Amino acid sequence: MLSKVLGFGLIGIDGFPVQIETDMIGGIPNIEIVGLGDTAVKEAKERVKSGIRNSGLEFPVKHYTVNLAPADVKKEGPCFDLGIAVGILSASQQIKIKKYKNFVFIGELSLDGSLKKVRGVLPMLISARTMGYNKFIIPEENAEEARYIDGIDIYALSNLKDTVDFLNDEKEIKPLEVKSFDEAVNAEENTLDFENVKGQAQAKRALEIAAAGGHNVLMIGPPGSGKSMLAKCFPGILPDLTFEEALEVTKIHSVAGELDLKKGIISKRPFRSPHHTTTSVSMTGGGNKTKPGEFSMAHNGVLFLDEFPEYSKQMIETLRQPLEDGKITVSRLNQTITYPSNFTLIASMNPCPCGYYGSTDRECKCSPVQIHKYLSRISGPIMDRIDIQVEVDNVKFSELNSTEKEESSVEIKKRVNKARKIQLERFKNSKNYSNAKMTVPQMKKFCQLSPDCTQLMEQAFNSLKLSARAHDRILKVARTIADLDGEIDIKPQHIAEAISYRGLDRKYWSI
Amino acid sequence: MISQIDRFLVFMSMNEIPNKKQEILINQFYKNDESFSLDELLFNEDLSSIFLEDELKTLRKNYDGQQLDGTIENMLNSGIKILTVFSEDFPKSLYGLSDRPLILYAKGDVSLLKGKCFSVVGTRMPTSYGKIITEKFVKKLVQGGLTIVSGLCFGIDEIAHRTTLEMSGKTIAIIGSGFSHIYPSTNVNLAKQIAEKGLILSEYPPSFLAKKYTFPRRNRIIAGVSMGILIPEAGIKSGTMHTKEYALEYGKDIFAVPGNVVSNKSELPNMLIKTAQAECVLSADDILEFYGLNCQKRPEQNKYIELSFDEQMIINLLKNEERSFDFLAKETKIPVNILNSCLTTLEIRGLIKKLPAQKFCLT
Repeated sequence: MLSKVLGFGLIGIDGFPVQIETDMIGGIPNIEIVGLGDTAVKEAKERVKSGIRNSGLEFPVKHYTVNLAPADVKKEGPCFDLGIAVGILSASQQIKIKKYKNFVFIGELSLDGSLKKVRGVLPMLISARTMGYNKFIIPEENAEEARYIDGIDIYALSNLKDTVDFLNDEKEIKPLEVKSFDEAVNAEENTLDFENVKGQAQAKRALEIAAAGGHNVLMIGPPGSGKSMLAKCFPGILPDLTFEEALEVTKIHSVAGELDLKKGIISKRPFRSPHHTTTSVSMTGGGNKTKPGEFSMAHNGVLFLDEFPEYSKQMIETLRQPLEDGKITVSRLNQTITYPSNFTLIASMNPCPCGYYGSTDRECKCSPVQIHKYLSRISGPIMDRIDIQVEVDNVKFSELNSTEKEESSVEIKKRVNKARKIQLERFKNSKNYSNAKMTVPQMKKFCQLSPDCTQLMEQAFNSLKLSARAHDRILKVARTIADLDGEIDIKPQHIAEAISYRGLDRKYWSI
Repeated sequence: MISQIDRFLVFMSMNEIPNKKQEILINQFYKNDESFSLDELLFNEDLSSIFLEDELKTLRKNYDGQQLDGTIENMLNSGIKILTVFSEDFPKSLYGLSDRPLILYAKGDVSLLKGKCFSVVGTRMPTSYGKIITEKFVKKLVQGGLTIVSGLCFGIDEIAHRTTLEMSGKTIAIIGSGFSHIYPSTNVNLAKQIAEKGLILSEYPPSFLAKKYTFPRRNRIIAGVSMGILIPEAGIKSGTMHTKEYALEYGKDIFAVPGNVVSNKSELPNMLIKTAQAECVLSADDILEFYGLNCQKRPEQNKYIELSFDEQMIINLLKNEERSFDFLAKETKIPVNILNSCLTTLEIRGLIKKLPAQKFCLT
């Protein structure tokens, strides 16, 4: 007896349909699973056997051949267990009616017959929906992440017995109720707020500009000056995630298996701060079981690299592609996968190995050569992609104790949202949506300078010894500052402010 | 064609023969160029009274007339000039020194040595105060027509050279290594610029690697060629101490800028002023006046004109000491974005200077 059941597998962050064909024939009792599965797929036969028996169903002693088609695509993980079990049950006539043919089965079986969560349910569902599939059975534990997709029927079940009863029309189960995304957004609250950061007015302003225009930021300052704290507050002033963005983020986190199953969808921009000993593979993604890396986990959010020069040179250089294209392509033995990785980079570093160069509190003990070497760990091309460089100094005790109220993240966010709106309008018909990602023709169009501004720019280049690469950066940042002010044209004061965020291009930095 | 005695001195410097021995050799064997030949000299039996046996052996082994001529030709072709005590361009000021260099390799305009040379030397890691006053002094000195001499090291040296080049002034760098091994390597480009627009001098042949003792030794040339030295900032145990010692020995004028008494970078200048070894100078005009040079002692014009109210407020706050951004933001109550652009504008106009770690001061 032959049966065909639909399952879904994952490539990168996209799902693909897998036809699970089960053939029950006489011969030496065994289950043979073919179709390029990994060890987790091969081991499914033991789980399926026990799962069926312990659900009070019959497991006929026969030879089974299970084929996962297409046979030339590598399949990973235990998400085919449920499909295989349903296939065997229908081949052995225990599922009588053909209702199961309309369903896509995703789930891992436990030995006692219950369904266990699998990773990547959301991306599979999204891909399946676009391909026209509309009925799904998934493990109950994965229900929350599936709830936000409308237009399809999803049944979240807790064990194999229920599944069989449901397919035999012996038990009635309702599809999942769709939840609206707004509910999830409102449920979030930020723990870190800019009103708790004393002083650091310039850094805060720089981060506000960065949030508004999607610019990457480098913070330079001595240890203990609050760089990390500022960075952690940063997600709080970023514009709210749109539903599409949230789905994309959730997809990636679901594939990585890092989704909070109670919440289901990720409604807050991700903030990732990988340690500097993290290998470049876990940054880019890939590995034996292909998983998205930190760059992709920070998609639509913030990647915070603390102590930037401490990261390996190789890792720093791998940042180039994501910073330029917003995605990263990794080639591994079996496949080439492209993960989205459109993040805002917030990097922080000390000005020298000991950390106190230029600080008033302590004297720097580094030699000029040491400082030069330390700074040159970050190459020109990477510096080119960082629009804003801001210096942070230690906060004085009196400031820490001051009772003056600092501006809260909510208020900053209002301004950021306003500036973003202007940009969305501006880049309506193009791919990018922020000033930071402006192309050269767009810059020519949107960053036209008045004679006043050109003159100021020229003076600045001559007297402050700015490097040529600073020119475009200054224009982009000035554009964002003008947007924050609600101005249509870039004014000299916007240029002047933008120049103040090019600390590293300045002469004084070279000792 | 290079003269026999120059050829001899190049060979000796390449073999690192001490100057004293070279002087003895010259006194003993050199009468005029016609009767002098390196080939003959090396195999002269009287040499054994000057050199040890091993030394002489290696010297003779190293000698290859053709190779030596080739090396010299390469040097001349790559724009290196060879100045020896016998050549006309050799600085007269070095001629009479007790421990004079016998040969100088030069790149650039050697006529600068005939001008009014004045050296600016100091610590490799100046404070912001040191940086600012060095720049300020050098600018004025260059305007006064002085040629700025320094050692192409980090810190004060570098600032002195760079500032002079920016002012299109004349500068001489005297280095403690060969031209092919500029130390520090970060200043290689600076060295190139100086070779084009000024002059680089070295006592050592191009392939010579710097050694610990070569830096203090080149300091005697710095002190030797200049009429005076200025020490803006230096620690008590620094290389500048050597330069100062040589300057005292050679009877050159020493000028020191007083500094913060608790800063160890101002130890040397303050000590020199206290012990009256150095002239205390408060501005570059004092130096120019000392030499009777044309210093326009115009009453200083008020630079702070056409300032907006905000800018005036900032200038007033900076008048006494350097201030941090946060301090300015708090005191002036100017919104951060306006303050940022005000500060940049003031900086572009050259009225204030940005220091590391978000601090600002008046220029």
